[in-house]
Amino acid sequence: MSRRIALLWAVLAVVAALALALAGCGGKAEQAPATEAPKAETQAPAQETAAPQAEATEAATEEAQGFEPLSVTAECKDNKIKAIEALDEYTVRFTMCEPDPAFMAKIAFTPFFIYPQEWIEANANEENKETLLSHPIGAGPYMIESWNRGDSIIFKRFDDYWAGPAKTETLVFRWATEGAQRLLELQAGTVDYITKLSPDDYETVKNDPNLQFLPVPNPNIFYIGITNTFEPWNDVRVRKALAMGIDRERIVKNFYPEGSEVADFFTPCSIPNGCVGEPWYDFDPDAANALLDEAGLPRGEDGIRFRTKIYYRDVFRVYLPEPGLVAVEIQTQLRDNLGIEAEVVVMESGEFIAQSTAGKLDGLYLLGWGADYLHVTNFLDFHFSRNNPQFGEPYPEIYEPLEQASTIADPEKARPYYEQANNAIRELVPMIPVAHGAAADAARADVQNAKAAVLGPPDLQTFVPGDRDTLVYMKAAEPISLYCADETDGESLDACKMVGEGLYRYNADGEAVPALAEKCEANEDSTVFTCYLRQGLKFHDGSTVDANDVVRTWDALLNAASPYHVGNTGAFEYADYLFGLMNKPEE
Amino acid sequence: MATSSEVSAAEIRPASLWRLTWRRLLRQRSAQVGGLILLLLVLTAIFAPVIAPYDPLEVLIGKEDVRKREAPCIHLLGCPPDKPQHIMGIDGNFRDVFSRVIYGTRVSLFVGFTTVTFAIIAGTLLGAISGYAGGWVDNVIMRLMDVLMAFPSLLLAIAIVAVLGRGLQNALLAIAIVSTPVYARVVRASVLSLKEREFVQASRALGAGHAHILLRRILPNALPPLIVQATLGVATAILDAAALSFLGLGAQPPTPEWGTMLGTERNQVFTAPHLVFFPGLAIMITVLAFNLLGDGLRDALDPRLKQ
Repeated sequence: MSRRIALLWAVLAVVAALALALAGCGGKAEQAPATEAPKAETQAPAQETAAPQAEATEAATEEAQGFEPLSVTAECKDNKIKAIEALDEYTVRFTMCEPDPAFMAKIAFTPFFIYPQEWIEANANEENKETLLSHPIGAGPYMIESWNRGDSIIFKRFDDYWAGPAKTETLVFRWATEGAQRLLELQAGTVDYITKLSPDDYETVKNDPNLQFLPVPNPNIFYIGITNTFEPWNDVRVRKALAMGIDRERIVKNFYPEGSEVADFFTPCSIPNGCVGEPWYDFDPDAANALLDEAGLPRGEDGIRFRTKIYYRDVFRVYLPEPGLVAVEIQTQLRDNLGIEAEVVVMESGEFIAQSTAGKLDGLYLLGWGADYLHVTNFLDFHFSRNNPQFGEPYPEIYEPLEQASTIADPEKARPYYEQANNAIRELVPMIPVAHGAAADAARADVQNAKAAVLGPPDLQTFVPGDRDTLVYMKAAEPISLYCADETDGESLDACKMVGEGLYRYNADGEAVPALAEKCEANEDSTVFTCYLRQGLKFHDGSTVDANDVVRTWDALLNAASPYHVGNTGAFEYADYLFGLMNKPEE
Repeated sequence: MATSSEVSAAEIRPASLWRLTWRRLLRQRSAQVGGLILLLLVLTAIFAPVIAPYDPLEVLIGKEDVRKREAPCIHLLGCPPDKPQHIMGIDGNFRDVFSRVIYGTRVSLFVGFTTVTFAIIAGTLLGAISGYAGGWVDNVIMRLMDVLMAFPSLLLAIAIVAVLGRGLQNALLAIAIVSTPVYARVVRASVLSLKEREFVQASRALGAGHAHILLRRILPNALPPLIVQATLGVATAILDAAALSFLGLGAQPPTPEWGTMLGTERNQVFTAPHLVFFPGLAIMITVLAFNLLGDGLRDALDPRLKQ
């Protein structure tokens, strides 16, 4: 009996082993077509049919055997890019599904930084995920020396950085959640630079001769949203009355930190074509009241025309630092200036975003937007497209010129369309632009070249911390991971920017400037971008930057079918939002 | 003779319970202090428009040279005479904090008295019926009260407001509902002990109806513990209302309510402490007044302390 049982177990074991072996082969067989099938359409199909391990070996000896260009392609569905190809050792071509004039501005964003092909192929998998997330190899100004979890990250200068070695040999990232604690550390001299200075500490920093106050001109907009599918907001005269009856200057002057500006357009003026067209209405309560009378909303015996609600979430944002106070101020202005009685309603943050962006709030709502990249499409196209219901029924007068402008790469040629769109926004008043909020950082007075950047962290590689050889930079929280292809966390993106480098990068003014690429050229209708890499650039591991590194990085980042499409969460949110993932599995 | 005997009978008539209570209350130091503060608070609430130098909703932007969250300016304490006097400072929306605290007295006392009145009426009704009827009626009502008492009162109030929606009215209702069981239990206990007493039996023997016995014989004698409980209950109700408003569930902006004022400026505790200090102090003083008075009343109404 026992022999029979033993035999049965043996048979089962053999079957299981066979099943595992078959599954293993099957897995490989499935992986290969997912990534290699699209490549069969490209110019070098022969090299692309090799297994990933073989590719790595080939890559290691590519100089000896000649360059074997990689490529990745996809059918145009929700994705904006249909092909990324290495044309030669230093040339990469991106072919788009539709024109994208903001391409250069987007690729400078940290999630699109370039990593060595071999490093991705070795580490972009579940087994080596820890290395992938905590010790990336990049081409940025600093290399990671150690990440002491819960305490600090220590970076060492990368001497072969393409723009010249960093001024300080050691860079330390630290963090503290409370603004007061960050300021205390700065005052004590234990850190050299702190971010997100609390507006209440502005005066303290300005009056302290040992500190420097560094305004951050962050491009953002705070607006009062109006959904045109609810009464009385479906009447443009009522919306226009609101636009004229709210004293925006009073709000900015009294409830925003220094450096904030009254918004005359939805898009900040620092962005090309952001503020072309007619500026917003002047504060004119008489004209506003006349419009409300004309719209058939006379004042009642108590002086009130109608009642509404002001929705907001009680969350600090640079574009709205004190939401509760601003809500009450708008409530006061509506009552005093226009005879509109408004109830202030605080909502839970997630619920507020879901309801407001779905166009389900029947009153006014206080919302804003911060720039992901410096292009007008990041502001206008996102909010006023034909598919966005957040202001109720979308306005063709706004989205049609935007659609035309989005196919034009030359800002000067696109200008008339943006002018048309901005004028339509002013005329139709889907929202009221109120403020471009300012934030501030602070540094010790002896830190030379200290300057806050418009997007992301400052250029720390240019800072000189007095006569010290270590620069200590303090943020509000610890990074989640250092592989930012699959990160949305701002703290992580800042740390990644020290290590990595993209084809382009944002300079301190937020402009996208060539970095690893010498230049990227667009064709006439912005559907093909050809990037030429600088020659002889090195990664931290000493390997040379070439076109295959770019293709493999983008393959891992954007190609949902790639075996290297592995990251912290697997969502690759920024890549998906800005370019749409390629070869996304059907839902 | 008859006349002189009536006079002498009146002269030797023992003092009524209320007169005795009043005399004992006046001797209680804590009751004196509590009563005095309460009197001042009531006067403040009544004469708020006279006392407060500004409208509590008036935004002073463009009207006076004041800064956001400006510290108190008291001329007697050295604040320059050319600056407008704001003895409790300016809040985040450029309003006079003193005026808002003064008007806040109205809201808080209104909240305290309204909720306790509602809770007393509901609790007395439920407790009296429960205690007098007994049997399954008593069981049903008191188990319901037990269920209400099983939850922490503030948590239950938050749950009720979450269902009814935020706002002062709903907060009042929520606090009244969660306060009711206490009064129901107090009244029920009194009714249970009183309904077997001789004077009630006598009334019953004389053919008095249930309503007469309950309303004329039992309830008047059940009042003393209820009064003590009510006085202490006002303090709890004011605290609960302030807590709900602090959490944004009670009074909504721009109503000058102490809890809302605390909640709005809670992050300024280090940078502008006056914005949380004065509303907090007002809550503390009011609650203290009711507690002192309640303690005094309890002692005054306790027959064991009768001298």
